[in-house]
Amino acid sequence: MCDWCMKHGAGKKWYMNAKNYSDQLAKDLNLEDYLTEQWMNFETVFIRKIMGLSSIGLGYKLKMPIIGRVIRRVVEGMIHKEETKKRNPMRADGHFGQVIPLEDGKIILSELAAEPIIENYCMCRWMQRGKKEAVCINFGILSEIIEKLPRFIPKNRVVRIDREEAMQRLEEHNKKGYIASVWFQPVPYICAICSCESPECGGLRLRNNFDLNVVYKAEYIIQLDQDKCEGCKACVSMCQFSAIRYIPSIDRVIIDYDKCFGCGICRHACKNDALRLIPREEYPGFDGKY
Amino acid sequence: MSKTKIIIDYSKCGENGKVDPRDCHKCLEVCDPCVFLMHEALGYKEEDPYNPQHWRITPVWPSVCTRCFYCVKACPEKAIKISW
Repeated sequence: MCDWCMKHGAGKKWYMNAKNYSDQLAKDLNLEDYLTEQWMNFETVFIRKIMGLSSIGLGYKLKMPIIGRVIRRVVEGMIHKEETKKRNPMRADGHFGQVIPLEDGKIILSELAAEPIIENYCMCRWMQRGKKEAVCINFGILSEIIEKLPRFIPKNRVVRIDREEAMQRLEEHNKKGYIASVWFQPVPYICAICSCESPECGGLRLRNNFDLNVVYKAEYIIQLDQDKCEGCKACVSMCQFSAIRYIPSIDRVIIDYDKCFGCGICRHACKNDALRLIPREEYPGFDGKY
Repeated sequence: MSKTKIIIDYSKCGENGKVDPRDCHKCLEVCDPCVFLMHEALGYKEEDPYNPQHWRITPVWPSVCTRCFYCVKACPEKAIKISW
């Protein structure tokens, strides 16, 4: 279990704790104003200067000696910020997430997510690739806020969906190759399951390119049954993290466990049932490595 | 490796230019590492704050640029310059 499970999981994984989805929690933290402000200015979060620095050229800034280390601490502190009063809606304060497999996503959507549930455009993909795709599933008060912002709302489609439909949509996205991820916004309130891809996703960008802990790896890791693998390479094309590679001499794939986020997307491509997810703690070398 | 500098001429594209990036965004589509970010321009008082009208493109992650020049070739306004 990760640190956030210890703090907000009540003995379970953080995203399995029903309290974190409740309208009461949103009310207690006075999130309606905060999230409205944040989502009205959502596209400017990477551009706005924070303490004189914006994210433009972040990769170069992080490489600067000493200053780079200070920036890293400030950014991570901001993203993980828990003090409600000190949070600034113009930044992504308290907004981070974790990769989840489809099964966990379905449990969230069927039992935990607060109504109403909507599906709206992914802003990361629009800002970074110019594609509008309705793949973000939001719940609770965030749904009501996003419904008022026309640029996020798909046209000619029902935006509000029921639990059954939400689960179905998530499965569709997952099988297509998008990674399911669940998001604190702001911690400890959970209001979204996204279907991300790398490098378009803002969170995965910061994690994969700059090693900032905006997205944590899943509580699971992939396990390959070497005898079942026939070397068809279908799973290689599914992995967003280049964690799977085909090796001709042994005619099967190998897995780079350091790169595996445990999203389980590769399983959809395997005809021989050779890939399965196991809890991260069962894999001694990777227990605790999120 | 030296720093990559990507400069967009905002008199050709963006909130002051004749092209609205929300209609064009060809550079976003061709960029494999997704260097560009299309965003609401700062400093505008929007008539409808729920639906902003002023947008521009910023090369926000130059450190992942592979210098392939696809964006320079794709830009119909020839607004992108890359140097290092």
